[in-house]
Amino acid sequence: MEFILTQLSGFGGAFWALASDPLTYIYLIISVFLGITFGALPGLTATLAVTILTGFFGNKVPLDYSLIALLGAYVGAIYGGSYPSILLNIPGTAASAATAMDGYPLAKAGRGGEALGLTTTASFIGTLIGTLALLVFVWALLLLSQNIASPEKALLALFGILLSGTLMSEDLVVKGWIAGLIGLAMAMVGLDPLLSEPRYTFGWSYMLSGFQVVPVLMGAFAVPQIIEGMRHMDVGKVTELKGRILPNTKTVKRYLPTITRSGVIGTGVGALPGVGEDVAGWVSYGVGKTVSPEGEKFGKGSLEGLLSSETANNACIGGALIPLLVLGIPGSPPAAALMGAFKINNIIPGPTIDPAIILRVVAIMVLASLTMFIMGLFTARVFIKILRIPQVVFLPIVMVLTTIGSFSVGGGINDLYLMLGVGFVAYFLNMLKFPIAPLVIGVILGGLFDETFRRSLLISGGDLMVFASRPVASILLALNLALIMSQIPVVKRAFGHLRRRII
Amino acid sequence: MMEDKEILRARDFWGALVLLAVSVFFLWRTFDIPLFGDNRAGVSTASWYNSAAIVPLGIFSALLILSIVLLIIAIRDGGAARALSAVGIGWDQAEALRFTTIGVILFFYVAGLVPRVDFIACSGLLITALTFGFHKGLPERMILSAAAVAVCGLYALVMHLSQSEWGAHDDDIITLAMWAIMTAVVVLNARGDRVLKAVPVIALIAPVLLVCAMAFGFRQNVPNRGGILFKQIEYHYYVTLRPIWRS
Repeated sequence: MEFILTQLSGFGGAFWALASDPLTYIYLIISVFLGITFGALPGLTATLAVTILTGFFGNKVPLDYSLIALLGAYVGAIYGGSYPSILLNIPGTAASAATAMDGYPLAKAGRGGEALGLTTTASFIGTLIGTLALLVFVWALLLLSQNIASPEKALLALFGILLSGTLMSEDLVVKGWIAGLIGLAMAMVGLDPLLSEPRYTFGWSYMLSGFQVVPVLMGAFAVPQIIEGMRHMDVGKVTELKGRILPNTKTVKRYLPTITRSGVIGTGVGALPGVGEDVAGWVSYGVGKTVSPEGEKFGKGSLEGLLSSETANNACIGGALIPLLVLGIPGSPPAAALMGAFKINNIIPGPTIDPAIILRVVAIMVLASLTMFIMGLFTARVFIKILRIPQVVFLPIVMVLTTIGSFSVGGGINDLYLMLGVGFVAYFLNMLKFPIAPLVIGVILGGLFDETFRRSLLISGGDLMVFASRPVASILLALNLALIMSQIPVVKRAFGHLRRRII
Repeated sequence: MMEDKEILRARDFWGALVLLAVSVFFLWRTFDIPLFGDNRAGVSTASWYNSAAIVPLGIFSALLILSIVLLIIAIRDGGAARALSAVGIGWDQAEALRFTTIGVILFFYVAGLVPRVDFIACSGLLITALTFGFHKGLPERMILSAAAVAVCGLYALVMHLSQSEWGAHDDDIITLAMWAIMTAVVVLNARGDRVLKAVPVIALIAPVLLVCAMAFGFRQNVPNRGGILFKQIEYHYYVTLRPIWRS
């Protein structure tokens, strides 16, 4: 009880400090608006919104405002993806793919207003559920994480990359792992963290400091999007919005169990390292379809189906911040971009993070979700107009934004060359159906993995059993091995055989 | 659907070969990093686990193994058999032209223009070229747009390759002239096209707002501060405008 009261009073203090500052609202309104706009425009993603704003706000304003800008954009973009899903049948972001299944049939049936209103409410409640989980669990985990040493950190980083590679691959899992390894390999460039030994610098002094995170993020997420999106495409016909957007309290109450269940699922999926909002949406949609009495209506315009995915993808944000803040391992691709912002502000997320920052993050999440809720309900028609802008108009501006953002973070032309090089490679990887998120997570976690893996070996005098000698390390090692083994055909077949026998 | 998978496996075949070559190359380069017996930065690397090469060695070995796995999957699924024909890898001439022209535009913008030419001018040209070139998906417009950016970028690269020459303004003037020509072409083709009508305005306003926000709002460095347009804006900001509210 005392723990909860301490938490709440700490949160209250952080919330009041932010709420009493007028500048907070300016940053909130601008960032949430930009976030919803990015989410609503098909071709722009939540990760891109956070990445581009990192270039602008990352290290140029005080940390609180920087976090408001980035978290506001994150919350707004995940929610904004629902607009084109419902009105155009095109998901604005991958996180809203499941939303289109029921959102569009509802809009076609003349219930677009109701769908948008409920989506806004569900996203708001979902974000709050995720944020509450962040407030409670982050502290419990922070206490536990004090006992996490180098072997556990190395295994966790590896687990994050492997899990993200496994779950993000739309083709072969091996491609996700290769992408993660390419990211890890990129993180090896520069002076090594323990002995300052130059690696793969090819005599170029710029390479001594390694690949900078922001140009890599911009290159990996923005450039392929620009190349892919610059094509002739008719803007889809926006379904006419009928009915009032303000939700009916009775309907919200009726669907509250669905919203709560989806919020918990979204938070749980988000807390898995490297797994994003799109997976959360689909998992929650799948669970909803199985447990709901109206499961057979899913995909034909079911409000429950719509709320299952929309609540989960927003709840995932709070969940994704838990491993980021506790362990320094991003829970989703936009959280990876957020980690880039932390890094350029010289903040190392993990067990040594200043607890006050976590309280501020929670307070910002609450404020951002409130802003999103109000904007969603009262300015929805503005965002619907934005849907009519073709990609060929805004993508060139995104290129200019990316260039100036990337340049100003590092202050060098070399960062732009790096951004372009990574961008072309990422485009080809996309074309070959390699997921990009594991690559970025590999780049971000590569330094941590290298340092903690070698430190473990140094401490143990080269004894590899150091990775299995402690309880948490043993569990993590087992998880890593299980994840790898689960993809080996012989093992897969054996398990399939065993399962059939049991059934 | 089946056809798509076969095309993907043919591409995977080539992708796996490239990855194989890359992993072998970097494995070879990894052996440049002392693995045994050296004394670096005051720390003896007599033991294998002290070496800075140990993690990269693991990464590139794993990459090599996974590339072989991908190659085997691609061959088993018929990727190798289709890999040598253009149809087999799903070669699409229109798509290749689209990618090449965008690649040319982005390359000359980043490598040639941004470091050497006024940021407003080169970004205005980029926005005009990209929107005009790819709005309708017409090949001749794509080529024209790519040529416009390439000419300016190539001129800047060739005439002012070294950093000491980046302050020159002749490339700024050429880029500005090209931007004006492209804008005229856009205006001539804009009848009945709302997107093209908006291009000249967007191409002017977006870079000016962005560069001013970054330079005067966030007080950050922007590319090519001495550019022909930005120099004037900066001068009037500090000499003409700022004293008004400072006093």
